[in-house]
Amino acid sequence: MATPPPTPGLRKLVRNPFFILGLTPEASRAQIEREGQKLLSMLQVGFGEASHYHTPLGPQRRTAEMVRHAMAELRDPSRRLCHEVWAAYCPPPDDCAKPVGSHTPDQPDPWEGAFASFGWRMS
Amino acid sequence: MHESGPIYVGIDLGTTNSSAAVFDGEQVTPVRNATGTALTPSLVRIDGSGRISVGHRARKFLAHDPDSVRGEFKRLMGTRKGLTVASNTRRPEELAAELLRALRRDIETQVGVAPDRAVITVPALFELPQIAATREAARLAGFTEVEMLQEPVASALAAGFRADHSHGHWLVYDLGGGTFDVSLLAARDGFVDVVGHDGDNFLGGRDLDWALVQWACEQIEREHGVVLSRANSAHTPILGKLKRALEDAKIELSQVSEASVVCPDLIPHPDGARHLELQITQADLEAICEPVFARTVDVCQRLLAANRVRANEVERLVLVGGPAAMPALKKYIEKALGIELARGYDPMTLVARGAALFAASANLDARPKAPAPASAHRLWLRHPAVSADLKPHVVGRVMRADEQGAPTQIKLSRNDNNWESAWVSLNQEAGFIVGVELIARRSNIFTIAAKDEAGNPVVVDPPTLTIVQGMSLSDPPLSRRIGIALASDRVQVYFDRGEPLPARRTFRHHTVETVARGSDTCLLKIPIVQGEFDRAHLCRLVGTLEIPGTGLKTTVPAGSAVDVTLELDRGGNLTARALLADSDQVFDEVAHLLVPEASVDVLEATYQRSGNRLQELRKAAFRHHQDGDFRQRVETVARGLDGVGRDIEAARGGDDDAGLKARRMLLELDAQLEDLDAEIQWPALLEEAKWKLAWAAHWQQKYGSEHEQRLFNDASMAASKARERRDAVELERQVGLAYDLGFNAFVRDPQAWPSLFEQAAAAVDNARDLPAAHALVADGRDALAREDRRSLERVVRKLWNILPATHKQRRQAFESGLR
Ligand SMILES: Nc1ncnc2c1ncn2[C@@H]1O[C@H](COP(=O)(O)OP(=O)(O)OP(=O)(O)O)[C@@H](O)[C@H]1O
Ligand SMILES: [Mg+2]
Repeated sequence: MATPPPTPGLRKLVRNPFFILGLTPEASRAQIEREGQKLLSMLQVGFGEASHYHTPLGPQRRTAEMVRHAMAELRDPSRRLCHEVWAAYCPPPDDCAKPVGSHTPDQPDPWEGAFASFGWRMS
Repeated sequence: MHESGPIYVGIDLGTTNSSAAVFDGEQVTPVRNATGTALTPSLVRIDGSGRISVGHRARKFLAHDPDSVRGEFKRLMGTRKGLTVASNTRRPEELAAELLRALRRDIETQVGVAPDRAVITVPALFELPQIAATREAARLAGFTEVEMLQEPVASALAAGFRADHSHGHWLVYDLGGGTFDVSLLAARDGFVDVVGHDGDNFLGGRDLDWALVQWACEQIEREHGVVLSRANSAHTPILGKLKRALEDAKIELSQVSEASVVCPDLIPHPDGARHLELQITQADLEAICEPVFARTVDVCQRLLAANRVRANEVERLVLVGGPAAMPALKKYIEKALGIELARGYDPMTLVARGAALFAASANLDARPKAPAPASAHRLWLRHPAVSADLKPHVVGRVMRADEQGAPTQIKLSRNDNNWESAWVSLNQEAGFIVGVELIARRSNIFTIAAKDEAGNPVVVDPPTLTIVQGMSLSDPPLSRRIGIALASDRVQVYFDRGEPLPARRTFRHHTVETVARGSDTCLLKIPIVQGEFDRAHLCRLVGTLEIPGTGLKTTVPAGSAVDVTLELDRGGNLTARALLADSDQVFDEVAHLLVPEASVDVLEATYQRSGNRLQELRKAAFRHHQDGDFRQRVETVARGLDGVGRDIEAARGGDDDAGLKARRMLLELDAQLEDLDAEIQWPALLEEAKWKLAWAAHWQQKYGSEHEQRLFNDASMAASKARERRDAVELERQVGLAYDLGFNAFVRDPQAWPSLFEQAAAAVDNARDLPAAHALVADGRDALAREDRRSLERVVRKLWNILPATHKQRRQAFESGLR
């Protein structure tokens, strides 16, 4: 089961477009379009493995709308820059940045240090 | 030639002219009509016995039987207006359907297939009801599936498709008969992004024609002492004739330097009708048209500024539409914007061409679908239909995979025999992902081969798939904000301007009053509004989702949860759905997806009211010693109101379009008046902001977390910046944020909920649902006695939900029944 995003602030982190698309901040525009297009197709035909993505705070549910949003965000150079900073500042564990098709979606692996590194208190 | 491959159809349904184009994956070809031209005048003629003719044929009757011919119906799409043609009454979409039917026939003649699917273009600023009406017209004309595309996006796609290695910004400027659209695009690595667009739904060649009429009337008055007025319905036919003659002269002047206008017996005079004879030169035309040109340049500059793009960063400026043929316009635009025009595009068919290209990317093959052989196994395929990427993915799934002889392996091969995939085994979900390779700038057809478990070949449906390699267009952004009006006159924004389409969003609301089951007087209204304002009454009502008491399974008490979902497709088509959470009932009838009518009397009354407000503001400006800038803005509104006055006059004379324009302008002026009002209120607003910030800071210091305090500091900093800029909206927003943070901290105080409860309990007699409210208060007293803070909080929140918004707010918010 996906972990719900704890607070609005953290939502920004788990909704990072790079995480949603399963790409690293170095991804080229062409890679973004290709991966986004593929994910949209997979979601449309209902592939289970496309329905979640990895974040430092554990797997999250992925929808077609989120994918389109993520693609739109990364098309705008200035907004992309901002997401790059966040994604790089707080990278998911190495094996999470791989494109879909190479991991099992329902193994929860929250990144222990994430909360603390943001000065967050777990209540 | 078209038997083998798909055909994609695009249609530009214009105010004045319409056209169609077809794309076969390699080439875009404009469709010719019976007269051999690519342009069909958007005119429909209905004669006394109901016979219909369209386009050039209808145009022939304009001169001697004008009442039987109707044009400019596109402008009235989405209104309830019935248009009278000879003795027949038709809705605008019915007339548009006639036009589409004629274009559909022309396409059939040219390619041999009557298209079932097509892309139809609409102005970028078309509102939802206008889009819905266009869709209805297409249905009436016999299309089974259509997608809508914004006109400027279509032109850009046509201008940029297969443009080699273009990088940079393009400005597409489309001045049509009645609408002006401008879009800013960015081309990068074969992708085109719509960065933004702007425009004016009431600006076009038509305004040039009326400016010319105005000029001619001045000449007539000077020479013949006769005053012709648009407000006088007896003058309507004369002015109509004059306008047509002047339009012809305007068009002639695109080729020659001087034209003459001759209308025998046009001018009514006590001594008998007189002839009109006028000479008009390029220089006259330039001078007359300049104010309209200047307005278009303002819009372009606004768009560039909003996207922080400088004019010298624009690589291409593409002009589209009829007036683009005018030398005066070209000269003016190039000079005013300082950008050289891109040459080599046909401004009249560019939109239809782009629409045909887009039909390919939307996978809308116009050919009727052929039935598959009964033995074939269905595949569910997803892939881009047009791709800038040379190596896109094809994703698929086998339906009914557990059947005997179902495929277990798939292979794709390109029809030029130079590329094929390996055999790919299906995964556990009977799906597959294949990366394919495309030939650049071609239509790539792939054959799908399949094998079953035993290795025998299996027939699949579809047997092939097509991907066109070329410019690919990212999701088109939304041009206007869409939301739900709440009873408090606020707007819950569902989709922001610039949001990529398609989009879908759900928010939970609560009812403000009880809707009794079976009651035919109880109705829950959910108004859907479009516009940039936070206050509902300043936005345009574009539809209402209605939940009638008669349709309910159980009574819905005040404060019940309602989940409202709005969904927009790529063409901006809206669907709305409300789910009553407790009874699990769904409603999806959107009543009146219509542009509200602009009856002249209502307009007149609104106009008077705005006039009075303006007077008040003038006085207040004097009292409060407002500066010159403020007074200037007041005078701008005054000038706008004068224009509205003229439009209302024209509406009285029978010009419905002028009425619509007046309605829109009044809304915009109202918003400006509101802003000016806000400025007068500024000192009071500041006082309140200070008080709220101080309160919130106190509680934040006492109970806020480190992070909250950081957010709080950000908000108060932003509020102080907004104060410096005198930006009231931003100030309210930031103070609101800070206040919310303060409130969050405040409720951690042990005394917080008890005191909030007492406040709510004191107001309980105003609740719409009294029994429920009193029951809640009793619950609250219990919780208080038990010192059960959680229950107390729940009670207070429920009470807040059933305490009313004021009547005035609700009325302004289109009677919204939600909070
Ligand atoms: N050669 C020409 N020179 C000047 N103006 C022209 C010429 N041809 C057409 N026009 C004007 O262009 C206008 C029509 O333009 P166009 O056909 O692009 O509009 P449309 O596409 O029907 O309208 P819209 O895009 O607003 O729905 C009319 O006002 C007409 O007078
Ligand atoms: Mg047009």
